[in-house]
Amino acid sequence: MSLLSRAVTLALALLLALPVVGPPPAVAVDDVKIALVVPLSGRWARQGQLKKMGAEMAIDEINAQGGIKALGGAKIVLREADAGDSVEKAVSAAQRVLTREKISAGIGSWLSSFTLGVTEVAERQQVPWLTLSYADNITERGFKYTFQTSPVSSAQAEQALDLVVELAKRNNQPIRKAALIGDNTAATVFFFKPLREKLLQAKGIELVVDEVWTPPLPDATSIVQKLRATQPDVVFYGATNFPDSIQVLQKVKEFGVKTHIQGVGAWLVTPEYVKTVGKELLDNIQAVVAAHPLKGQEELVKKFVQRTGEPFMTQDPLCSYAHVWLIKEAAEQAKSADPKAIRDALAKIDLTTGPAASTLSPGRIRFDERGRRIGAVPLIVQWQNGEPFTVVPVNLATRPVVWHK
Amino acid sequence: MVASELTQYVVTGLLVGGVYALMSIGLALIFGVMRVVNFAQGDFMMLGMYLTYYYAVVLGIDPLVGALVTIPPFFVVGLVLHRVFLARVTGGGDPNREMDAQLILTLGMSLIITNATTMILSPMPRAIRTAYATQAFAVGPLLLNQARTYAFFMALCLAAAVYVFLTRTDLGKALRAAADDPEAASYQGINVRAMHGVAFGVGIALVAAAGGLLATYYPIEPNVAVNFIVLMFVAVVLGGLGSIPGAFVGGLAIGLVQSLTLLVLPLQLQNVGVFVAFLLVLYVRPQGLFGRRARTV
Amino acid sequence: MPILAVVAVGFVLSFVVTERYHHRVLTLVFLWATMGLAWNIISGYAGQISFGHQAFFGIGAYVTVLLAAKLKLTPWLGMLGGVGVAVLAAVLIGTPTFRLAGIYFGLATLAYPLIFRIVMDYLGYQEVAIPMMREQPGLFMQFTEPRAFDLLALGILAATLVMSRLIETSRLGYSLRAIKENEQAAEAMGVDSFRCKMIAYMLSAAPAAVAGAVYAHAILFVVTPEAVFGVLVIVQTLTVCLVGGAGTLWGPIIGAAIMIPVSEILDTTMGDRLPGIQGVVYGAALMAVMMYAPEGLYWRVRSMLLGRTRRQVSAVRPVPAAAEVDAPAPTVPAAARPVLMDVRGISKAFLGLQALSDVSFNVREGEILGIIGPNGAGKTTLFNVLNGFLLPERGEVHWLGKSITGLQPHVVCRLGIGRTFQVMRLFPHLTVLENVMVGAFAHGGSPDHARASSLAALDLVGLADRADVVPTGLTTLDLRLMELARCLATRPRLILLDEPLAGLSTDGVELMAVMIRRARSAAVTVAIIEHTIHALVKLADRLVVLDQGRRLAEGLPGEVTRTPAVIEAYLGTRWLSRHGAPQHAEDLRP
Repeated sequence: MSLLSRAVTLALALLLALPVVGPPPAVAVDDVKIALVVPLSGRWARQGQLKKMGAEMAIDEINAQGGIKALGGAKIVLREADAGDSVEKAVSAAQRVLTREKISAGIGSWLSSFTLGVTEVAERQQVPWLTLSYADNITERGFKYTFQTSPVSSAQAEQALDLVVELAKRNNQPIRKAALIGDNTAATVFFFKPLREKLLQAKGIELVVDEVWTPPLPDATSIVQKLRATQPDVVFYGATNFPDSIQVLQKVKEFGVKTHIQGVGAWLVTPEYVKTVGKELLDNIQAVVAAHPLKGQEELVKKFVQRTGEPFMTQDPLCSYAHVWLIKEAAEQAKSADPKAIRDALAKIDLTTGPAASTLSPGRIRFDERGRRIGAVPLIVQWQNGEPFTVVPVNLATRPVVWHK
Repeated sequence: MVASELTQYVVTGLLVGGVYALMSIGLALIFGVMRVVNFAQGDFMMLGMYLTYYYAVVLGIDPLVGALVTIPPFFVVGLVLHRVFLARVTGGGDPNREMDAQLILTLGMSLIITNATTMILSPMPRAIRTAYATQAFAVGPLLLNQARTYAFFMALCLAAAVYVFLTRTDLGKALRAAADDPEAASYQGINVRAMHGVAFGVGIALVAAAGGLLATYYPIEPNVAVNFIVLMFVAVVLGGLGSIPGAFVGGLAIGLVQSLTLLVLPLQLQNVGVFVAFLLVLYVRPQGLFGRRARTV
Repeated sequence: MPILAVVAVGFVLSFVVTERYHHRVLTLVFLWATMGLAWNIISGYAGQISFGHQAFFGIGAYVTVLLAAKLKLTPWLGMLGGVGVAVLAAVLIGTPTFRLAGIYFGLATLAYPLIFRIVMDYLGYQEVAIPMMREQPGLFMQFTEPRAFDLLALGILAATLVMSRLIETSRLGYSLRAIKENEQAAEAMGVDSFRCKMIAYMLSAAPAAVAGAVYAHAILFVVTPEAVFGVLVIVQTLTVCLVGGAGTLWGPIIGAAIMIPVSEILDTTMGDRLPGIQGVVYGAALMAVMMYAPEGLYWRVRSMLLGRTRRQVSAVRPVPAAAEVDAPAPTVPAAARPVLMDVRGISKAFLGLQALSDVSFNVREGEILGIIGPNGAGKTTLFNVLNGFLLPERGEVHWLGKSITGLQPHVVCRLGIGRTFQVMRLFPHLTVLENVMVGAFAHGGSPDHARASSLAALDLVGLADRADVVPTGLTTLDLRLMELARCLATRPRLILLDEPLAGLSTDGVELMAVMIRRARSAAVTVAIIEHTIHALVKLADRLVVLDQGRRLAEGLPGEVTRTPAVIEAYLGTRWLSRHGAPQHAEDLRP
C-alpha cells in the first residue's frame, strides 16, 4: 500500500469513527415531547427544514410564555427525525422516534406517501399525529390518531373553482375554457379528478388541455404549445417538482402565453421561485393553498423573517407552527402529556382563539370522526411584486387581488 | 399532423438530446477505457452546475463560457480521485470482480458528494438568470429555445473536440489503445493506469461542462442528478460501449425518442417510450448502435 | 450445518432484542439478505449482473398488496400470486435479454422496473396504502408483535439459504459457475447455457418477490412505485452483496448484517441532529470497505485465512517416461473403419475474407486424424464450424449419418463430440476437479457421480493429485492435460483438439502424445490441429492439409509431407526450388 493510499484509508477510518455530534441536550423528565418526522436530508430537505423552523418558533414562544400551564409549566421539546428520501427511511424515522421516548404527539411528513406510512406507525403506537397533507386518502383509512388540518384536495378543487369563477366574473372575464396541467403526485391527482370528471362541466367550462406527466419532465414545449394553441382562460397547475415547474413557467413566458395560472398547492409560492425566474414572470400567478399568513399575522411573519432570514413565511412553517400550538392547547385541555389523552382532547376540541386557530382559516378548529378539520377552506395566494400574499377570502386577505389577462 | 408540428417535435427532441449527449460522452469515456460504472457521474455534473453558478454570480461570467471553464479544475479533480481511490481498486486481477468493487466505490462517492453539498451549500435551489432561457429563435413556424440552442451547439463543439482529441492526438490514441486492449497497450509502453486517470479526469470534466450548459435553463440543487442519471446510462449503452460518437448519438436519440413518443403515448408514459426503444435497439443489435461486436471463439 | 447456525443466531437475536425499532432493523437485515441471496443466484453464481432485480421485488409487493386491497385476499396467498407473476416476468424478460452480455444485460434489465414504475404511476397506484385490518391482523400479515415480522423474514431467509445451498451443490450450480467463468467453454462441455440461465433467473425471481411482499407489509405500510421498483432497491441489494461478497451464500448475509445496522446507527446517532452527515459517513464506509476488500468481505477474509496453504503445491512434477504408459496402435486398417464424421464442402467467410472454401474430408472411427496447415489456414475456424460455434455459408457436417450443421455447441457436445481450445479456456476460479466435473455433467447424473467420473478422467491423464488445486499456478502442460480430461469427461466418441501441443517442451509434447494415444485406445477418436508438422507425423494416422481455407492434401503422413504443394505452402516456392523435396518429414520446420 502506497503512503498516499495508507493516508487516505486512515482518513476514511477516522471519518467513520467520527465522534457522535454531541450528547443529546439535557431533557427534564416532565418535558412534553413533540416528534417532527420530515425530510431533513436528500431531495426534500428544504421543505423539511422549513417545517422545522416553524415548529421551533412555536416551541420557543410557548416555552417563553411559561410552557403548558396545566402541566405546571412543562416545557415543550422537539424531537426531530430525518425522513430522508424514501418511504423506508421515513417510516424508520417515525418508528425510531416514537419508541425511543414517550412522545405526546407528532407532526409531518411533507410527502403524502411518507405521511401515509408515518401515520400508520403513529396509529399503531397510539400517538396523535397532525399533518398538513391535502391528499384525501390520508383520512380515509379509519384511523383514530391522524388529524388532517388542511382541506382535502377534492374539496379544495370545488371551493377553488367557485372562487376563481367568481373572481373572473367580477372582473368581466368569465371563464369558458380551462386547462389542467400537472404531475401525477397524489395531491394533484386528487385535485384534478373531480374537476375533470364533473366540476368543470357543471359550470359549463370546456376542458381544452389535459396534460399529466410523470416527473421529471424533460421539456415543457409540447404542453405549452397546446396552451398557446387553445388559449384557456384559466390553467390549473400542479407541478410539484421544482425543476419541472420552472421549465413550464419559462416556456410560458417564452411562447408568450397569456393566461391565468392557478397553482394547486403551496409549492408554487416559495422564495426559490423568485430567485430562479424573477418577480416579473411570477406576477399575478395564483395558488390554492391550505395556509398562508393572514391579515393580523404581520407580527408573526416579521418574527419569522428575522429569526430565519427567509424572505417571507409560507405554508410549511406556518402549519407546523399552528400544529405545535394546537398540540399545546390539546395538552392544556387534557391536563396531561399522555398521547391517548391528547388524542381524545384533539378529537373533541373546538378552538376559536389562539395562534393555532388564527392561522388555520377560517379560524375555527374542530375535527370530524375521520380526523378531518371541519369547515376547512383553502386560501388563494397571489404573487405580487415578488412576494406571495393572501388575496382570498377577502376578509383575511393581506392584499387585494389583481386580475387581468 | 402538420409538417411544421412534426418538425417542432423533432427539433425540440434534438435540442433536449444535445445536452444529454454531452453528459453521456463523459460516461462513455469512463466506461470505455476503465470499464467503470460511475455511479457518481451525475453528481459531478451537479458540482459543475454549482461551479458555473459561482462563476456567473460572483465573477459575472456567462454560463456558456463558465461551462468551459469548469473543465480544467474538474479534470484535475478527476485525476486526483482516480489516483487516490479508484486506482486502488482496479488494475490487475479479475475483470469481473473489479467492476463490482467500483460500483460500490463510486456509489459511496456519490453519497458523500450529494450529502456534503446539501450540508455545506444548503438544499435551497439556485438558478442562473439568463435572458435567453425564456427567449426563442423563431425559424419559420418553429420556435427554438435560445438557451437550449446555445447549449446544443456548445455540446456539439465539445463533442467534436473530444473526437479530434481521441483520433488525432497521441494522448487520445493512447487512451483508445488502453481501452481496446490494456495488455497490448502496456506492451507498447503505454502507462495504462495513467490512461485510466486521464479518462476519468476527462470524463468528469465533460459532464461538469454539460452541467454548466444545463445550468443556463435548469435550476441547481444538490440532488439534481437524479433527473438525468438513468438517461445518461441508457444513452451510453444505446450508443454502444466504448464508442464516443455512439454515446453522442445515443443522447440525441433519447431526446428525440422522448419527444416523438408524445405522438403515440400519453405524456405520463413519455419515458416508457425511451426505455422500450432502448430495449428494442439492444435486442436487435446487442452491441448497441455503434459498438463493436464481442469477439467469438 | 452452518446454515442452521446462522438461522439459530437470527432466532435468538429476535428474542433478545426488545425495542420495537431494533426489531425493525433486524427485519430489514433479514429481508435485504434474502433479496441479496436472490440476486446472487443470477448475478453471483451465473455471473449475469442484473440491475433490474427490483422488478421482481416490486411485482411481489404490488401483486400482494393490490390483491389484499381490492379482493381482500390474504397476503399469505397473495404472495404466491406475486411469485407466480414474478417468475412469469423472469421468463418474459430473460428470453430476449440473455443474448446480451455483460453491462448490456445489466442495463437492459434495469429498463424493466423503470417501465413498471412509470406504468404504476400511470395506472393510479402511486400510493397504495395497505388497509389496516384490525379484526384479523394475522391473516393479513399485520402483526402487532414486531417479533412476528422478524421471524417471518428469518423464515424466508432460511428458505432462500437452503435453496441457494442446493443450487450451489447441484449440477445447475456447476453449470452456472462454468457459464460465469467462460460461457463458450461451458457450451462446448455440454452446458445448455440459455436453459441454465433461465432456470437460475426464475429461481432468483421467487425469493425476490416474497421479500418484496413482506417488505411492503413489515416496513413500508404504503407501497409506492419508487419504493419497490426504484433504484434505491437495487442499490441496497448491490451494496449488501458486493460488500459481503458475491457468488457465495454468506456474502449477502455478511453484507446485510454489517451495512444495515451501520446505516441505522448513523441515522440514530448523527442523522437526526446533523442531517446529511449520516450519508457522508455511510458513503465513506462503503468506500473504505471496497478499498480494503474489493472482492467482498467474505472472500477477503477467506483468502487471508486459506490463501497461503493452497499455493504450496509445487509446480515441478516429474514427467512420466513415455514408454511405460504407451498404448498399442489399433489393428484394423484406417480405410475399413466406419466414418464417424463427414465434412462436406464447408465454406465460411468473415467480412469478405474467405476463411474456408469448400473443405471436405471425413473422420473414421478409432483414428487419429491430424489437420495441419500454416497460420491463417482456417483450422480453428473449421473446428468452430464442426463444434457449432459458427454457421457455415455452404456445406454440411454429418455425424453418424445425420446432419449436425448449425446445432448449438452444447447439443453437439452431448451427441458425442468434445473440444479443447487453442487459447485455453479454463474456469479459473474452479478447482481442477470442478473444471472437469463441468464436463462430466454433460451426461447428467448427480454431483457424486460426476465427481467419480471426473476423478477417473484425471487419473487417466495423470492429474489426480492436482484435483483440489485452482488452475492458476499450474504449468501449461498440466493445464492442457486438465482441458483434455475435462473434454474426456463428457464421454465423447470424437474429440477435436486445437493445438494441444502449443507451448510445451519436448517432454511435454511426448507426454501429450501418450495421453492422446491413451484416449484413442479408450475408444475415443481424435482429430487434432497442429501447425508444426513434425509433431503430428509420428502421432497421426492420416493428415489433412489446409492452406488459405482450402483443403490442399489428404493422406498418410509420409505421402503428404513429400507433396510439393504442401511444402510450398509451409516453406515457400523459393525453398522448394532451392532445396528440392525433403527426404524426412523432420526437415519440414517452417
